[in-house]
Amino acid sequence: MSGDAGGDVELVAIDSDAVWPEDAAEVEEAVVANWFVREGTRVEAGETVCEIQIEKVSIDVPAPATGVLETIEVPDNGEFGRGDALGYVRVG
Amino acid sequence: MAETETEAAGRELTMSRAMVEAIAGEMREDEEVFYMGEDVADYGGIFDSTEGLLEEFGHDRVMDVPISETAYIGAAVGAAQAGMRPIAELMFVDFFGVCMDQIYNGMAKNTYMSGGSFTVPMVLTTAVGGGYNDAGQHSQTLYGTFAHLPGMKVVVPSTAYDAKGLMHAAIRDDDPVVYMFHKRLMGIGWMPAPEGPKTPVPEEDYTIPFGEAAVRREGADATVVTLGLHVHRALSAAEELAAEGIETEVIDLRTLVPLDAETVLESVRKTGRLVVVDEDYRSFGLTGEVVARAAEGALSDLEAVERLGIPDVPIPYARPLENEVIPGTEDVAEAVRSVQG
Amino acid sequence: MPTVSELRGMYEEMVLARRYEERLQEEYLEGKQPAFDISAGPIPGELHLAAGHEASSAGVCRHLRDDDTVTAPHRPHHVAISKGVDLKRMTAEIFGRRTGLSKGKGGHMHLFDPDVNFACSGIIAQGCPPAVGAAMAAKKRNEDSVAVAFLGDGAIDQGAFLESLNLAAVRELPVVFVIEDNDWAISMPKERITDIEDGSRRAEGFAMSNTRVDYDDAVAVYEAAREAVGRARAGNGPTLLELQVHRRMGHFMGDAEAYRHDEDKEWAEKQDPIPKLATRLREEGVEDVDIEEIRERAHDRVEEVIRWAKDQPEPDPEEAYEDVFVGDVAAGVGGED
Repeated sequence: MSGDAGGDVELVAIDSDAVWPEDAAEVEEAVVANWFVREGTRVEAGETVCEIQIEKVSIDVPAPATGVLETIEVPDNGEFGRGDALGYVRVG
Repeated sequence: MAETETEAAGRELTMSRAMVEAIAGEMREDEEVFYMGEDVADYGGIFDSTEGLLEEFGHDRVMDVPISETAYIGAAVGAAQAGMRPIAELMFVDFFGVCMDQIYNGMAKNTYMSGGSFTVPMVLTTAVGGGYNDAGQHSQTLYGTFAHLPGMKVVVPSTAYDAKGLMHAAIRDDDPVVYMFHKRLMGIGWMPAPEGPKTPVPEEDYTIPFGEAAVRREGADATVVTLGLHVHRALSAAEELAAEGIETEVIDLRTLVPLDAETVLESVRKTGRLVVVDEDYRSFGLTGEVVARAAEGALSDLEAVERLGIPDVPIPYARPLENEVIPGTEDVAEAVRSVQG
Repeated sequence: MPTVSELRGMYEEMVLARRYEERLQEEYLEGKQPAFDISAGPIPGELHLAAGHEASSAGVCRHLRDDDTVTAPHRPHHVAISKGVDLKRMTAEIFGRRTGLSKGKGGHMHLFDPDVNFACSGIIAQGCPPAVGAAMAAKKRNEDSVAVAFLGDGAIDQGAFLESLNLAAVRELPVVFVIEDNDWAISMPKERITDIEDGSRRAEGFAMSNTRVDYDDAVAVYEAAREAVGRARAGNGPTLLELQVHRRMGHFMGDAEAYRHDEDKEWAEKQDPIPKLATRLREEGVEDVDIEEIRERAHDRVEEVIRWAKDQPEPDPEEAYEDVFVGDVAAGVGGED
């Protein structure tokens, strides 16, 4: 998924659904436990950018693309629903 | 094309991840470094102290042990005396009761009692701290107990950056080091940390020398000396006080043994007003020690002294009772106000 | 063999214990969602629930009196229930209320009831030496009361346990040690931390009697305990029992049990001692409608005590300074010199 912020900027969502474990299929909500990068930081695709907690299970979330972490949509200790974007990476 | 915004310095880590990064780095460099404790392998440590290590190093170097602290901590002493560099974990510092002989009579004294011919290059990691209602046998810090007995170095990181540097230093140290990590600062999902312990952490190895306190905030109106969780409570209090025109200097001790008394004295000579904040029992411990050092080194500069610690009671379970005995941010602010002339 | 009346009593206790743990789990998790924050909600801190362990306490405590002493570890609720601990005040204690057994100071791992001589604690094997001491007191006073120390399979390597076995044996004390073997010490499976499969054989090293009881069979537990408690009461010394049970709710609330294979968890689900005992009841001629009535009564009781507990006042912060010592000794408490 990507959004267009005008012209040649490609934004890729950090998709919470992409990391949701199978055995938590019935759970619809979670919390961001920790972000490991701030807005404006360069990230590599695959690098762990944050950690989410689904009930008792902790999951590392990788950056979906190489670029810069443009925005954090759900901050530390923020709640979100399955499928929500946790943040966006600006490719480049 | 790169935009005009600054691309920030890099990643931040939780204290647990920083600690683990240091351990992993040392284990890669030296095969003689190994970690043993309860639930440290598959579980990754009850407080995330070894999260991810098993995958890289296997069950032989990240060893689960039976619940037998005397045996395995004593074994760490023996392995260290044979030249290895073990890291043994005492799951909760409160459990020291079942194995203290191996710690304070063996680990801490063998170097001295052998005239230096035996050394014990081990690290004893242990989880400390309360504030989450785990009651009297699972909430202590016991900083005073371990700092008081001769022969072991004692470190207490309050940030991720310090956690990594102090861990590298601890493992490389040829003396026994007690590495006390506060549960609330680790960044565990089910025990959210306050603002502060998660910091940028360099990718490369680095050490923080023992015996160097860190001045976290400068100020001329009071010196707050503290450690661990209460560094962050003191900094919050300082912000509140700044709005009232009181500028607080916050000193993070970082290591208890060796203790950096000089940094404390410099500050006391400047402010004259000393507040010591501890999460251990009040009497016969850390707060008394710091005040004594201030009296010894800067008596004529001392105008006022205030000690905050846990009163001499076992830590109670119920929320209103625990909140009463563990110093909070507001208690720190009150203490600073009370020493103003 | 247990009488029908005893079987019914055990069944009711076990149903009550299971329901109690299920309800505590609900209350505990409330306020901690969507992600688990250990210090939030009506029951903060750690909570170690004993769902799956019910047969052990029901079978053992059936032979005990109020003046017999029981010590238990950090997973104590079923033992407290079987021992006859004041359930309302125990629940209030777990909810941290002023009218709890310890006025809110102990919490779920530190429940004390002097009326039935029950205490539990959070340090592994810590209850073993005091149980030996209670037995010692009974022997010195020429009384026929006994002591029982409950512990987990994780505790059998701990010094306090081993030293207690020896002291009890050499002084021929009226104590029964009961290992509740659920195969797991948090994430460490029994076979990875000790080479002995039957933990009761630790007794052999101390010239003590021992027995191991198969999975989740309340009647078999009853029989083994009858012999062990009887031996102690007759002045013929200690026994080490190992009772195989299973753990249904993880080590503590918050344990995702990622280290445990699914097959093991599924197997545990099937091991339920409660339906097993219900089957036995039916064999003894107890009607289904009767069994259902027992269950309802137990469930109602659980609701009653939880409701009562949640209605109780919280302690005053000032109370934190009381009860360090008996009598009026300040001892540096509070910081006012």
